[in-house]
Amino acid sequence: MKNRLRVLRAEKNWTQAELAGMVGISRQAVIAVENGKYDPALPLAFRLARAFGKNIEEVFVWEDNAPAEK
Amino acid sequence: MKTPDLASRRRPFTFWAVLVVASAIDIAATRLLGRPGFPPYARMIFALLPIPANLVLLAIIVRRVRGLDEFLRRVHLEAAATAFLLTALAVFIDADLEKAHCVGPLNVGVAWILMAAFYGIGYAIAVRHYR
Repeated sequence: MKNRLRVLRAEKNWTQAELAGMVGISRQAVIAVENGKYDPALPLAFRLARAFGKNIEEVFVWEDNAPAEK
Repeated sequence: MKTPDLASRRRPFTFWAVLVVASAIDIAATRLLGRPGFPPYARMIFALLPIPANLVLLAIIVRRVRGLDEFLRRVHLEAAATAFLLTALAVFIDADLEKAHCVGPLNVGVAWILMAAFYGIGYAIAVRHYR
């Protein structure tokens, strides 16, 4: 699963810590999601998308051939 | 943005304070049991003395795990699995070495130190993996 978290965060000029605080997760979690090392569960994915005022499909993109997790 | 409240800021201090107290009680109980001259009922009380503080420690750890986000829960789960399996492996190997008369009887305290060390290793590996 790919995501546009880094790009969206840069557009908003937010730091990883600020995004983490808004969503109620650790900065480590934001780093792992941004680097594609960790795919969040649905509730967290929705919270992240809502933080940017986007739908989940605008932030997370499912790839059919992608491995489950790196 | 959320700011940590006073209670959550106190939690790390509470954990370490209880850990120190629990460890001190553990050590004191072990030392008392090593001394002769106490009646059997007193020795039983000494043996059970560490339970309350360790139960408080357990409750604090469970609360902290429940307060973690899903990512950190996964990291700590991997660390715990690493610690559990490597400690089990170490204990089994030690038991075999003991049967082979290569080493003396295992000190249980060493197993706990090993588990803490393996937990640290497992945590470092998991953090590095997801970085």
